[in-house]
Amino acid sequence: MEFYETEDGKLGMREIPPVVAELLRQIPRWTEWESDEAENRIFPSPAPGSAETELRADWQAFVEPELHDYFLSTRQMVEADLRGMAEDGESFAMEFSRKHAEAWLNALNQVRLALAAHHGFDEQDMDRHGARDSLDERDLALVQIHFYGLIQHWLLEILEGSE
Amino acid sequence: MATETYETPAAETLDEVARDLPWNVVVHNDPVNLMNYVTHVFRRIFGFSRTKAEKHMMEVHRNGRSIVWSGTREKAEFYVQQLHSHLLLATLERSR
Repeated sequence: MEFYETEDGKLGMREIPPVVAELLRQIPRWTEWESDEAENRIFPSPAPGSAETELRADWQAFVEPELHDYFLSTRQMVEADLRGMAEDGESFAMEFSRKHAEAWLNALNQVRLALAAHHGFDEQDMDRHGARDSLDERDLALVQIHFYGLIQHWLLEILEGSE
Repeated sequence: MATETYETPAAETLDEVARDLPWNVVVHNDPVNLMNYVTHVFRRIFGFSRTKAEKHMMEVHRNGRSIVWSGTREKAEFYVQQLHSHLLLATLERSR
């Protein structure tokens, strides 16, 4: 799999194996399996502990719906870009506008955080490396989180490199 | 471990500060957000230099939290909302 940037401002991925293409297609779909843990992490409290009860109520009433709409819009942008992913021999390829990079970063972060919260991953889990005899659902989720992180690294290098 | 407070990106007027003193915007560590993503978000929201953004990011990583801004409550709420829109764990706290 190769990441690239074109001269006319597009970002691309090519030689995407089918299994990886499926991981990409899952980015905008995390809400299909959302859990309370994921919801709580995506919409955290603006005040620590039990402080600021009024603020927390206002936040839920006015801010969270705005955040919900914003997160939905970034996922929809990524979903539209993913519809452009096409077969290229035995693999897949896709390109999207560089202007969509922030939306991709956001959508990737939504699914990474939701997966981590859903599976209860902590710092130790996130740093876990090395071969294992078998893979369970948690291991696969960790692979998925790290793969999406790799795409985030690529996007951040492009965005930060141009500043 | 002690935390440092860095200068605000934009100065508040005396009237604003006098009415509502002061609120801290605190970013908390989480095991998932990438370090360079957190730096990127700090630069984007607060206009920090790369050096300052990385300093706050490392403070979050090492100490578990960093005060990234202090000022009026209204603006602190705005910044927390911005940080939440980038999926960072952020809270506002009255300065002690």
